[in-house]
Amino acid sequence: MAEIGHGGKEIVERILDPKEAPAKVRGLKQVPVRSQIANEVIGIAYGFFCPLTGFMGLEDLDSVVKKMRLKDGTIWSIPILFDMSDQELSDYGIKAGDTICLTYHGNPMAIFEIFEIYSYDKQAICQSIFGTADSKHPGCARTYAYKDKFLGGNITLVTTPKINPPFDPYFIPPLEMRKRFREKGWQRIVAHQTRNVPHTGHEWLMKGAWLQAYGELPIEKPLVGVLVNAIIGEKRKGDYIDEAIILTQDELRKSGYFGDHNHMTSLTFWDMRYAGPKEAVFHAALRTNLGLTHHMYGRDHAGVGTYYGPYDAHHLLASVKDELNITPVYSMNWLYCPHCGEITSEGLCNHKSEWQKFSGTVIRSIVQDGVKPPRLIFRPEVFDLVMECAEKYGFGSPFVTDEYLAKRTPVFTIPPLAGL
Amino acid sequence: MTEEKYPINIWVNEERYEKLKDAGLAHMCEEMLAGMKVIRVYANAAQRDKILKVFPTAKFDSATTKSIELLPRQVKDQIFDKVVEKKSVDILEEFLSAY
Repeated sequence: MAEIGHGGKEIVERILDPKEAPAKVRGLKQVPVRSQIANEVIGIAYGFFCPLTGFMGLEDLDSVVKKMRLKDGTIWSIPILFDMSDQELSDYGIKAGDTICLTYHGNPMAIFEIFEIYSYDKQAICQSIFGTADSKHPGCARTYAYKDKFLGGNITLVTTPKINPPFDPYFIPPLEMRKRFREKGWQRIVAHQTRNVPHTGHEWLMKGAWLQAYGELPIEKPLVGVLVNAIIGEKRKGDYIDEAIILTQDELRKSGYFGDHNHMTSLTFWDMRYAGPKEAVFHAALRTNLGLTHHMYGRDHAGVGTYYGPYDAHHLLASVKDELNITPVYSMNWLYCPHCGEITSEGLCNHKSEWQKFSGTVIRSIVQDGVKPPRLIFRPEVFDLVMECAEKYGFGSPFVTDEYLAKRTPVFTIPPLAGL
Repeated sequence: MTEEKYPINIWVNEERYEKLKDAGLAHMCEEMLAGMKVIRVYANAAQRDKILKVFPTAKFDSATTKSIELLPRQVKDQIFDKVVEKKSVDILEEFLSAY
């Protein structure tokens, strides 16, 4: 049975048979890639980015910038680009029509069939995708850091990544994910996008979205699940370490705040662009490919600073809803009300003058101050696991430090290609 | 119009609470978020901007709490010690004058 992904296109994994791979790679120019490109190679090859089959050519990029669509009309909001400098192109002797081998960690990772080499106005990309050309915006900064030429063409994985512990159980590509959903019998699955260790506000976002997604379905047996899909990519100092994020998200299930019948944790490799509304649309495509039927969007989804209005993402999603195969679930903020003595939604509780709002940033500050938050705010199992992760993976800190960046075990590695 | 103020939340752990009790200042704690104790030191807009510039890890939570968060622990300790020394939360001007 064909698995249909975003844009009504079939999800096809672009991964070579290990027996064929060495012969295909032999003799190709080898070009090392940085982590962002390696992440995107995985996204393309496993169908996370369906219908993309490779890095974008000029027509696709131009169409994404001007119309938020691929050249075939499919909604697509974030450019997926492979960049090189003129000097590198010259040094490697690369031209359109070539096939090269991309390497990561010194080993062959993928074959790249280059259809075209082109340039594009980076400021125009920024203005369209991020709504600003301000180089302080992290997505703009990433765009301006691209080298001056872009290479469009198809990607085929030759070596599957080895996902290192403790991340290995959480890498579940689209075809496998859909299989697991069928095994669970879930008819609706709602995505929870995260880059955070969960506090109870997050927990209730998930619980609220689960209730919203359940709707009119019969309740005799579990038919709806929440999929936590953690974005794993470039880290900044002060972020929670990746190990703490993925393990604590799953801890909510293990400790019984959810269960196997309604909760799963997974990851996607992606370097956040903080594109707000455009990233929200990208997330819709990504999670459609993972087999989800619903996607939770809170306030200022994937935003940064004050570049976007709190509900800009909702408005952009609404403008293309008929072309998306996933239903947005809009979530209001959850907060602590001392009068109610519980976590409640700002859409429910009317003790407005008593509300005590909290955020991931506030919780990080509390943890940093050496205080254990109460269980109504931060589950004790989650807190204990954060501290355990600090010792086990974070060189004493649950937050990213220079030492962590220098010494951590990579989330994935590319092993040598057997038979080459 | 009243000038807008932005709190720095100094969460009171056991060690800080002992210091407050010893100084007879335990009453300065407010209760927040289901029982946590906090001392709130307020910054005006100019002080907030200076803090964010001087301490690059600090973040202004503009979306949810309008508070200044993620100051390094030792900086929070210094602010806390200043509060205890002056027996007042109105210490930020003096604290920031060193930077």
